[in-house]
Amino acid sequence: MNTRAVTADLLLGLVPIALLIAVWQALVSFGYAPVTLLPPPGYVFARMLHQLMTDTFQQEIAATLFRLFTGFFVAVLLGVTIGLAAAANPAINAVVRPIVRVLAPLPKVALYPALLLLVGFGHESKITLVAADAVFPILLSTYYGASIVEQKLIWSAMAAGTPPREILFKVVLPAAAPSILTGCRIGLVISCIVVFLAEMITSTDGLGHVLVTAARTFRAVDMFVPLITISLLGLILNGLLEALRSYLLRGFPEV
Amino acid sequence: MMSGDVLIKRSAPFLACLGLLFAWQVFSLALRNDSFPTALEAIRAIPSILGDKEALVNILASLRRMAVGFGLAVAVSIPLGLLMGRSRAVASFFNPLLMVIYPVPKAALMPIIMLWLGVGDVAKTLVIFLGVSLPVIYHSFEGAKSVEEKMLWSGAAMGLTAPRRLVRIVLPAALPEILTGCRTGLVLALITMITSEMIARQSGAGNILFNALDMGQYDTVFAMIIIVGAMGIGLDALFERLRARLVRWSEPQFDVPLSFS
Repeated sequence: MNTRAVTADLLLGLVPIALLIAVWQALVSFGYAPVTLLPPPGYVFARMLHQLMTDTFQQEIAATLFRLFTGFFVAVLLGVTIGLAAAANPAINAVVRPIVRVLAPLPKVALYPALLLLVGFGHESKITLVAADAVFPILLSTYYGASIVEQKLIWSAMAAGTPPREILFKVVLPAAAPSILTGCRIGLVISCIVVFLAEMITSTDGLGHVLVTAARTFRAVDMFVPLITISLLGLILNGLLEALRSYLLRGFPEV
Repeated sequence: MMSGDVLIKRSAPFLACLGLLFAWQVFSLALRNDSFPTALEAIRAIPSILGDKEALVNILASLRRMAVGFGLAVAVSIPLGLLMGRSRAVASFFNPLLMVIYPVPKAALMPIIMLWLGVGDVAKTLVIFLGVSLPVIYHSFEGAKSVEEKMLWSGAAMGLTAPRRLVRIVLPAALPEILTGCRTGLVLALITMITSEMIARQSGAGNILFNALDMGQYDTVFAMIIIVGAMGIGLDALFERLRARLVRWSEPQFDVPLSFS
């Protein structure tokens, strides 16, 4: 694919976003929507820039990011460990499989009240919820990636005298890396969404709380700002993960 | 021997459920916390919720909204995803927009949508629709992209027009992947339903759950969690049966859905 085609694609992709903003502006300009309900896009973006400069808003973002990252890392740690263990050991697999089958389709948000009652209203309950929601895609893709590792790779490592434990880290883990990273990407988007929801339910800080406060006082502008912020955060984090992926997977065939 | 294995395999999820409930029971007895009832107490509170006519009507209304939102989302997303998978122009047109929308929690749009459409069924169904669409679009896209070119060429050589190729070749070939997306979407519909009702506290299962939390009726909270969880597991199992019938020829990649929120 040459660079010109990529730029053309990129320009084409900007069209719907530009259209969306144009329709938004038109709705306000032609008076279909009152400004109190739908503030004009220029006003919202100006307000957002202004907010990003203020200390309080930066602290809200920091609180959200802290919960997001802690929960996500717990999920990665648990997901990769359990996924690898289940792929390597049939006994663990037999236990993990039905439990995952039951827990994965369970709507985790419904567990949030229980978490609140058990671990309190602070960071812990939100981090637990983020981890609980993000762990399943990571676990499943690790398991999937590890269970389709080519048998010949493992045999040649064994023939070269690698002890079984090292095979797991030197052969299986790197071979499963593309699949694991795909799972992490899904998990990251989920973390963004869940941390925001948890903060909307009960919180004293964070982006979700900003939205709820704005909704209770009917300030429409301030409702758009956190939503756009979380969308941007998601895009940035996704880009960072993509960069990490292409660094970790250098030399891998394109997947 | 074979039938014994199958029996164990079939009953494994039930055993897992029982094991989890048992772990809950032991844990709550060990903790002796007033706000953490035992599993048995929570299960005992279920009949009183389901026996209450108003609560039952509320839960059924929730399920109806979920079904409508899910149905609409699937009807729109599958054709869009398939088109995106087969045409590069369509894909690059919609991809960045979808990337921007993806990390936004759909239920968080509820307060804004409520300003425009009120707290009624329309707002909640719209939010569920938005929540379900993205994974279904994504999986249909992936499915349509990986259709074997040779099949399309032979279809074209035999005189199938482009729209008919899409329906007769791409749709069946992408069906396993599409159904994976629908399964994720189903779980998501349930999650979005709960969260939207939690934000617009008016009616529905989410409303019962979070009102009980606010009023400190912990038995009801945990009983509702069991009911909602059972809905999730039940719907997922039902869908899995449907999937197995529709695409008997294809082995599932994962036997559990990747859940989204």
